Amino acid sequence: MAAPATDVAPQETAYAAEHDGSDLLVVENLKKHFPVTRGIIFQKQIAAVKAVDGVSFSVRQGETLGVVGESGCGKSTMARCIMRLLDATDGRIVFDGRDITRLSRVEMRPFRREMMMIFQDPYASLNPRKRVGFIVAEALEVHKLGTEAEIKRRVQELLDVVGLNPEHYNRFPHEFSGGQRQRIGVARALAVNPKLIVCDEPVSALDVSVQAQILNLLKDLQSSFGLTYIFIAHDLNVVRHISDRVMVMYLGHAVEIAPKSRLYAEPKHPYTGALLSAVPVPDPEAARTKKKIVLEGDVPSPINPPSGCWFHPRCPRFREGHCDVETPPLYSFSDGQFAACHYPLERWPLTEEELRHPSSGRAS
Amino acid sequence: MIRYLIRRILWAVVLFFAVTVVSYVLFFIIPANPAKQACGQACTSQDVKRVAHALGTDRPIYVQYGKFVKHLVIDRSLGYSYFSRQSVNSIVGAAAPVTASLVVGGAILWMLIAIPVGVLSALRPRSLLDRTSMTFVLIGISAHPIWIGLIFAYFFGFRLHLTPITGYCDFINPSTDCGGPVQWAYHLVLPWLTFAILFAALYVRMIRANTLDTMNEDYVRTARAKGAPEWLVLRSHILRNAMLPVVTMLGMDIGLALGGAVFTETVYSLPGLGKTAVGGLNNYDLPTVQGVIVFATLAIIIFNLVVDLLYAWIDPRIRLA
Amino acid sequence: MALLEVRDLKTHFRTDDGIVKAVDGVSFSIEKGKTLGIVGESGSGKSVTCLTIMGLNPKRNTISSGEAIFNGQNLLTMSSSDLREIRGNDIAMIFQDPMTSLNPVHRIGHQLVEAIQLHRDVSKKQARARALELLKAVGIPRAERRIDDYPHQFSGGMRQRVMIAMALVNDPDLLIADEPTTALDVTTQAQILKLMTTLQREFDSAIIMITHDLGVIAEIADDVVVMYAARVAEQGNVDALFTRPQHPYTWGLLGSLPRLDTDVDRLVQIQGQPPSLLNPPRGCRFHPRCPYVMGICKTEEPHLMPVDGDRTHTQACHLDQTTKDREAEKLLAGTMAEAS
Repeated sequence: MAAPATDVAPQETAYAAEHDGSDLLVVENLKKHFPVTRGIIFQKQIAAVKAVDGVSFSVRQGETLGVVGESGCGKSTMARCIMRLLDATDGRIVFDGRDITRLSRVEMRPFRREMMMIFQDPYASLNPRKRVGFIVAEALEVHKLGTEAEIKRRVQELLDVVGLNPEHYNRFPHEFSGGQRQRIGVARALAVNPKLIVCDEPVSALDVSVQAQILNLLKDLQSSFGLTYIFIAHDLNVVRHISDRVMVMYLGHAVEIAPKSRLYAEPKHPYTGALLSAVPVPDPEAARTKKKIVLEGDVPSPINPPSGCWFHPRCPRFREGHCDVETPPLYSFSDGQFAACHYPLERWPLTEEELRHPSSGRAS
Repeated sequence: MIRYLIRRILWAVVLFFAVTVVSYVLFFIIPANPAKQACGQACTSQDVKRVAHALGTDRPIYVQYGKFVKHLVIDRSLGYSYFSRQSVNSIVGAAAPVTASLVVGGAILWMLIAIPVGVLSALRPRSLLDRTSMTFVLIGISAHPIWIGLIFAYFFGFRLHLTPITGYCDFINPSTDCGGPVQWAYHLVLPWLTFAILFAALYVRMIRANTLDTMNEDYVRTARAKGAPEWLVLRSHILRNAMLPVVTMLGMDIGLALGGAVFTETVYSLPGLGKTAVGGLNNYDLPTVQGVIVFATLAIIIFNLVVDLLYAWIDPRIRLA
Repeated sequence: MALLEVRDLKTHFRTDDGIVKAVDGVSFSIEKGKTLGIVGESGSGKSVTCLTIMGLNPKRNTISSGEAIFNGQNLLTMSSSDLREIRGNDIAMIFQDPMTSLNPVHRIGHQLVEAIQLHRDVSKKQARARALELLKAVGIPRAERRIDDYPHQFSGGMRQRVMIAMALVNDPDLLIADEPTTALDVTTQAQILKLMTTLQREFDSAIIMITHDLGVIAEIADDVVVMYAARVAEQGNVDALFTRPQHPYTWGLLGSLPRLDTDVDRLVQIQGQPPSLLNPPRGCRFHPRCPYVMGICKTEEPHLMPVDGDRTHTQACHLDQTTKDREAEKLLAGTMAEAS
């Protein structure tokens, strides 16, 4: 696949060409800007927080797309836009062949059954005043999917499927541990047999041993019910375990998208490399010999993103005159790997020398 | 910051006029005839008509309101009382210092009680001190100021002759029997106590809760980890942060009370704004009531603004937002 | 010669529901210039152990016993004023959440100067100069200007650096870090860990690193203590722990980690939840969740025994040595299976 020569919406063309009708979800150039206003009587917009600023990707039926990035990269905002919990400022969201970007609330209703979300905080995402049975059954009741008795049976079935005791139907959330609460969240998401489940950091707030339980559960459910997942996390280890393809986000953009094995074995974008080398590996020998890329400074503000390549102020491969002037498109590499970098990593791992001195570039 | 200030002032002006409009309208809904009231029993309907014309109450409501605004903005005058023909400026001018003395003195007293009791209760939760002060809080909030006032007046004033029962003495003018700072304070002791009890109770509870919350904050643990002695942790880290919300509440409460601490003033016969407003209502004396409302509204608006600015100054997170 | 030696530390909290045995017999020691990692999940007692050493538990309703010998003195029986002299001076502590660990209404310069003037008889000017020195050492850009900023004007990573500066300002011999990077992004965590190891070499201080992340342990610890339910399950040198783990809980922890360098279909799960510390299980505290549980585990508590006579590596489990080695092999082989 040739690298697109133009820089007009390169992400869209790359994806449109690559994927066919088996895509459950196609996102094209999604943008979400939050206005910053100022004014005495009438508020005028003077700037915008560009939380998501042009992200394109697709998710095939039955696969898991991992989304990785640090705080402020826009992954949670993007998830909410896809779920239509927020309205996108620009771009297109195509779910199961239908453009849902600008649908009204009423028109969105039937789609809400097809896509569900699991949230990060198991303590905050369940209404403490409602019984667990009600929480899991709510979506079923809203969409009128059965009689009261049928719904109750289904809820008990679901509680069993996620590894909870169906007799605990009438208990309140505070009577469960964090891991169990997260299972309730999973049961809630599964209730209406959705096609897509967006998991927004579902294991970040859990202890390691409980984390493993939930990850195993999610994997089992995927094979049992043919689910499609978008799995958002900041922990690269977790994402690797559960994903088929991975997307790395930085400052509201996708900087690299690749099949899992390619991303972790041969990352192309320097930010991906930095993320990979920053992850602590539980092996002292490996930790001692690992070549680390430690980035300088902090993530820039999304109100005032850097010119050209968004990563250039912190990039060890920065080339003045090129990286700060020209925004890199998502260049295509072999095996379905895309990276937005003019000087992608030649191989992995690299020494400090090799990192700072790229051998050649993807000159436009 | 300037932008914020300008916006607040503009809204304050809008709010001010909105309040005066509403009070005018309310007045006109009451089925009453101020002209008849002012004229007296002996007046014939002809006389009443003449009085109405003189007072201006036979004009439509918007004309009357327009005249009111004109007087207010241009002449800086609040009009003349229907009842006594006195200028409302002078009525309010005489009553305001009385209420102010009561409220400001009461506020100082309630803070002097609430801060130490609230903080000490928080430092030793569930101790005897804490339980006693919480009982006091319960009584203070439940008991009505009139009831408290009457009880105090009876015991301290009538039975024990420790303080006078009623009346107000002017702060200035030491020549008369009832005048000068000593007499002024002497007559205000019971009113201050009565007025302060309810607020002291509320504030003890609030200060205790804030202090308890602040004590559990991470930065207090950091201060202790640095090796700071408890008194420094208390002064530099706990108190300053715990008092922030108290400042806001204090400003609002004082502003509100300046509109007339009606109950206390009634029990002790203090000729303050509250008593004046009640009297004006009884006589359907629109200008007087309106005058008190104007003063009260101004006081509340100004205090709210001052408190917001003060808060922004004390809390750097807001200041530099 | 150990810098700090902890022997049979116990901390019990009196609550309305009964006595919570948050720490129930923990012993370890640390030497100058070394790093000790204390690893465990929530409720294991790892934080409370260090809060007890520092004397930072609420005084009411807390019963502590045991010894924490620092410079020949027992920190647990010291008077409050003596302990206060050591806190922030010889032993310093930094905490997990940098967002809330700094007082929002004071400038950071003020807070740093406070830390200095509590223990050194210097003028404000001298204290400020020292504060500036530390801010530069921890990598705060434009430190001369930023010293007068408020905490909310810094990012999370920067705030944690300020906390480190504040802890190191009096040249402590021991730095206790309670999950200092858990709330930070992974690249920021890498920066902070690098900073801590650099400063450790410069200042020759010992570090106790409390964390739940075995990866962090592998990166910076020399010795490790694995805590479970207020007790020590296993402790030893970091290489020994990772190459020859001896406790089923340690196996569970290692196996349940998804890893970058391996591919497994299912992660090892530890069934159930950590136990209540009000009523811990009889016998071995891990037995309700242990896949290798035997009869003796339910009645008799295992004591910390050396592994193969090596006193530096101890573990508390009734399983025999052969089984342990075999299972450890399987675990490590499993994780090495498809290393890329």
